[in-house]
Amino acid sequence: MFDRPPGLIPVSPLGMQVENVLFMLSMIAYLLATIGYLVNLSGKKEWGPFASTLLKVAFLVHTAFIVTRTINVQRPPFVGHYEFGNLFIWATALVYIWSEWRLKDKYFAVGAFLTPLAMLYFAYLTVIPSIIPAVYISRSHRPLPPVLQSDWLTIHVITSVFGYAGFTLAFAAALMWFLKEKVDSRSLLGKALPQVRLLDEYMYRAAAFGFLFQTVMIISGAIWADISWGRYWGWDPKEMWSLITWFVFAVYLHARFTRGWTGMRTVALVSVGWFAMLFTWVGVAWLLSGIHSFG
Amino acid sequence: MVKEVADIPEEQQIVPESPVKQILSFLGSMQLGIILLLLLSVITLFATFRPMQLAIEYVYNSWWFLGIMSFAGLNLFICTVERCRPLSMLALQPKKTMSAEAIKKMQINAAIKLTGEPLTKAEKAFKKAGLRTVVTATPEGAVLFGEKGKFGYFGSIVTHFSLLLILLAAAYGSLTGFEDTNGGYAGSNFFVPEGRFRVDVTDVRMVQEENPVIRPRVYTEMTITRDGQTIVQDTLSINYPIRFEGTTIYHTTFHYLPEITLKDTATGEAEASKFMMGNKINLDDQGTHIQLMEFFPNFSMGQDGRPFSLNYLPERPVAVGIIVRDGQREASVFLQLNEPEVVETAAGDVEVLLTGFDVASVYSISKNLGRPYLFIGSVLMTLGLYMSFFLFPSRFWAVYDEGKRTLFIGGRGYRNRIGTEQALEKIEEEIKKGRKSSDV
Ligand code: HEM
Repeated sequence: MFDRPPGLIPVSPLGMQVENVLFMLSMIAYLLATIGYLVNLSGKKEWGPFASTLLKVAFLVHTAFIVTRTINVQRPPFVGHYEFGNLFIWATALVYIWSEWRLKDKYFAVGAFLTPLAMLYFAYLTVIPSIIPAVYISRSHRPLPPVLQSDWLTIHVITSVFGYAGFTLAFAAALMWFLKEKVDSRSLLGKALPQVRLLDEYMYRAAAFGFLFQTVMIISGAIWADISWGRYWGWDPKEMWSLITWFVFAVYLHARFTRGWTGMRTVALVSVGWFAMLFTWVGVAWLLSGIHSFG
Repeated sequence: MVKEVADIPEEQQIVPESPVKQILSFLGSMQLGIILLLLLSVITLFATFRPMQLAIEYVYNSWWFLGIMSFAGLNLFICTVERCRPLSMLALQPKKTMSAEAIKKMQINAAIKLTGEPLTKAEKAFKKAGLRTVVTATPEGAVLFGEKGKFGYFGSIVTHFSLLLILLAAAYGSLTGFEDTNGGYAGSNFFVPEGRFRVDVTDVRMVQEENPVIRPRVYTEMTITRDGQTIVQDTLSINYPIRFEGTTIYHTTFHYLPEITLKDTATGEAEASKFMMGNKINLDDQGTHIQLMEFFPNFSMGQDGRPFSLNYLPERPVAVGIIVRDGQREASVFLQLNEPEVVETAAGDVEVLLTGFDVASVYSISKNLGRPYLFIGSVLMTLGLYMSFFLFPSRFWAVYDEGKRTLFIGGRGYRNRIGTEQALEKIEEEIKKGRKSSDV
């Protein structure tokens, strides 16, 4: 009924400016960290810790952006592709920084694959809409309609960004594994990449982490749908694609146990799972129709 | 089944003998599970590209899709039952002794030169690493054993069990329940035959949010009765359903109900009624009517001539309809509050007025007795996945070789090799720390 005045939350020009500047700065910082990790991968080992520091700086600036956005929209910023995308990148950076800290060896090589993926997600929020006119990423400050004002939505979104973060990390490890198999082990890249058994473990742990959160995401979504739509499962395309992603990662987790399903097959499964995840987020919104139009 | 699991060296291999066992072993195999899950993914993938209603009718609710799901359930059930015994043995009856040769061959191992109560030092280090320890005397010497994360072995069983519970609860809920929709406005009532109860809508209130562009909240007060006895009396609104007897009544949406008054210009006789969108307002007995199309609480017209509502504030209510005469659409009418439109009919001129409007709420009514089990299943699934992926079982063994004055430690991690390696490094460090202080 309302195709006009969007009914936005009034934001002061200063608030708007701070938000936009922090967004740009964090994107630039992530880009610098990406370059740092790539230089590290090319054999300049002293760049590893430097890139890691850059990533932490990027993460802090990005956190400041999310706080500003929260103040500007007067609610947690998780509605629409722009807000969700930012939270997703933020969670991905956080989980990676945490894994770098946990694994004392410092797997900086993973950073060289993870940060480009984060840049890909940034591209979706910034340059891709200007290349593909059908994709439109709104940055406007929308208030929450009553149906979205639920604590279950908060749990739903938080768990989904951590699920997606885990899957992104698993995919980064899958890419590395693939390259490790394909390039000469004596080449620069071959030497820079960790051993396959470590990549296998990294991929497994990241996928398992993502799987747990994806499960809670589906469950909290179902509970919330039950409360507000009167049914816990609606066979909506977005629900179905999150289930497909879940199935694919379940297959991967099982395949890892089964002899004959290891190696490149698990790499393929994780990659398919990552594509399914991306399609759940991006593809469903632009190619399929459903009730999950808010992101 | 067992032979697929790569990292379980301690188990006995159960070789299926009879055909029945062979069939069971196939039906409960993980390979079959993987194939079924992949099959479900591919079918679902194609189904999502069909319109949703068709996908629900011809895929998700079809006998063959439900059949594959049930088959996957059976597969999971057999598998889980079969895995219970070996997994409990693995978890609860660890091998507490190990020969020095076996320890040296473990993929995660360490050898530390040490003198003076080496096993006591090792035990202290094991404990510091959070392991529960036992020392067993064997003819070859004492063996120190330590383990942690025992419950992690049961993660897959809890997860699978929870999934079965969810599948059964969903099936039970849909077999014993019903789904219905109905609507009401203040003063109306309806009967729900499947649940044998009557709903009296006593009031429907609309409360505007601070921002007038946000959909207002609509509160319905209702009384639910059976055979004249009140079951519940409560208010429901979006995200706050009424629940009773496993039945839930939700607010799904609301509609405006314009009140239209028809006045015979000749006699001055007037009659007011409420209408829904899409309803016909009959003007004579020859079929001339107005079909109600849309209602705008705060009417405005865009530059392109399209009507829209500025927001939800009821500042300029307008009902839009189409006059239909002899089955032909004649013209649109915009009925503004108390501004009469005169329409020529076979029975003379009729004045049509919008004299007010009311709100009707739409409810979805469903009974689902599976809901509590679904909830329990969900909690168990989260717990099972946590046990699987965050409680890492690991086991360590240590023996002392007097001749070589060396302590040999070996470790095995279930699902967590890097973590087990890191734990061993810590144990090693701890023992070496002790070595230095005793050497001093
Ligand atoms: C449909 C048929 C399925 C079969 C036959 C099956 C079979 C198995 C088997 C044999 C294991 C190894 C058990 C062990 O030794 O611990 C396992 C592990 C597991 N299963 Fe399933 N499974 C199925 C579906 C699922 C699904 C849909 C889920 C999703 C929640 C699931 C979750 C798990 C988890 C979390 C583990 C532990 C994985 C790990 O340790 O990496 N299973 N499954």
